[in-house]
Amino acid sequence: MTQNGPVVVKQLPESGAKYRRKQFLAEVKQLARQSYRPQLIVDLPSKKIGPDTLDLLLSCVEQVERSEGRVSVAGASPEVAAILELTQLTSVVNVFPSVSEAVGIEGAYPFDAPDSDDSQHMAA
Amino acid sequence: MELGALVVVQSQNVAEQAGSSAWPVLGRTVLDQWVERVQTLGVGALSVVDREAPASSRIRTMVDWAKGGVERILLILLGSYAEVDFADLIRFHHQGQNRVTRVFDSVGPLGVSLLDRQTILKNPEGNEFTPTKHSSRYDFLGYSVRLSSPSGYRKLVEDALAGRCGIQPNGVEAGNDVWIHPTAHIDPSVKLEGSCYIGPYARLNPGVAIGNGSSVEHNCDIDIGTTLERSSLLPDTYLAPGLYVRNSVINGTRLENLERNVSVDLGSLGLASRRKPIARYSPRTVALSKDSNEPCVAISIARSSSDPALPN
Repeated sequence: MTQNGPVVVKQLPESGAKYRRKQFLAEVKQLARQSYRPQLIVDLPSKKIGPDTLDLLLSCVEQVERSEGRVSVAGASPEVAAILELTQLTSVVNVFPSVSEAVGIEGAYPFDAPDSDDSQHMAA
Repeated sequence: MELGALVVVQSQNVAEQAGSSAWPVLGRTVLDQWVERVQTLGVGALSVVDREAPASSRIRTMVDWAKGGVERILLILLGSYAEVDFADLIRFHHQGQNRVTRVFDSVGPLGVSLLDRQTILKNPEGNEFTPTKHSSRYDFLGYSVRLSSPSGYRKLVEDALAGRCGIQPNGVEAGNDVWIHPTAHIDPSVKLEGSCYIGPYARLNPGVAIGNGSSVEHNCDIDIGTTLERSSLLPDTYLAPGLYVRNSVINGTRLENLERNVSVDLGSLGLASRRKPIARYSPRTVALSKDSNEPCVAISIARSSSDPALPN
């Protein structure tokens, strides 16, 4: 029987917010270190993404896959979904229109133990 | 002189943004297709004018032609591709003793009208785009596509590749429905799958895959490992490595995704760019069936109100 790790929802920092992005990646690294098979749901804040957003997403995937976890992207506008498909990121991340749909697909239920302003843990 | 033809095209700016009648289809523009079709009638006067140019200059051209003895004028507002049998249209117009005959397909007017000399001379200031009570309707049942959107353009490309319309790719058939222009540079590792078209001076780098129903127009450069599936790359476009393009049209840095109905700028992401056009190149100058140094058709384009007169 396989068992999934924690489901964590995090909002991706806006493109260009360097410090916030560094902090975000550090949190993802910590999640990957401390858990097995984590399900990271990245909530996209805006309709558009920049090249640094794609880099950050790839870094997240790299970290989470080290713990055999999976990254999902939620709240992707059709424009962003088109870019994710174009760059073939859809082969390494799942894409959902909303966080609730992403959580539903992951089979998780809400767990009200947020550890920061913009992230939320859910039990698997 | 029996017949004159006036083709009204979208201004370049509008055409590049919205589509598609100015975009080449398998190496030749829709304008070329119309002009060649008209030329088979042996027209005595042919002019191509910009839609942005004042209507007065178009009217003046038609009046000048009518005064010069042109009996009928074929007016084409370019916005569609249609394989209209002009000889049959003229016969219909003549037999019905029509003053104005407008061509319709199942969707509506195609922007093609045949005007009688007397009508032009009697009512030179009349708006030539407005149907009059004297106009007759010619129902066209053959192949036609509206080119007001990228999806219309894609339909035409796919139909042309599948032989569902009369467009002949400007290239050599290198395999089953695979058309390649001799000036294209294709790495031996490139996979060409299904019917597709590779245009003049296009460059396909190692690992590129071109899927069924795709077209790559002139002077495009596709970088390593990128895949095209049911997509079109418009002239002078560079695509970055490792991309997967599906159900889309890419024009320079602009991607039109037909499935999601969205338009995305790829330039800021570094995924595509506009290449420097090849000097002195136009699709007509490399048509295989013609002298490679000469345009296939001799047309004159009037673009502004400062033009003194439209040449015949």
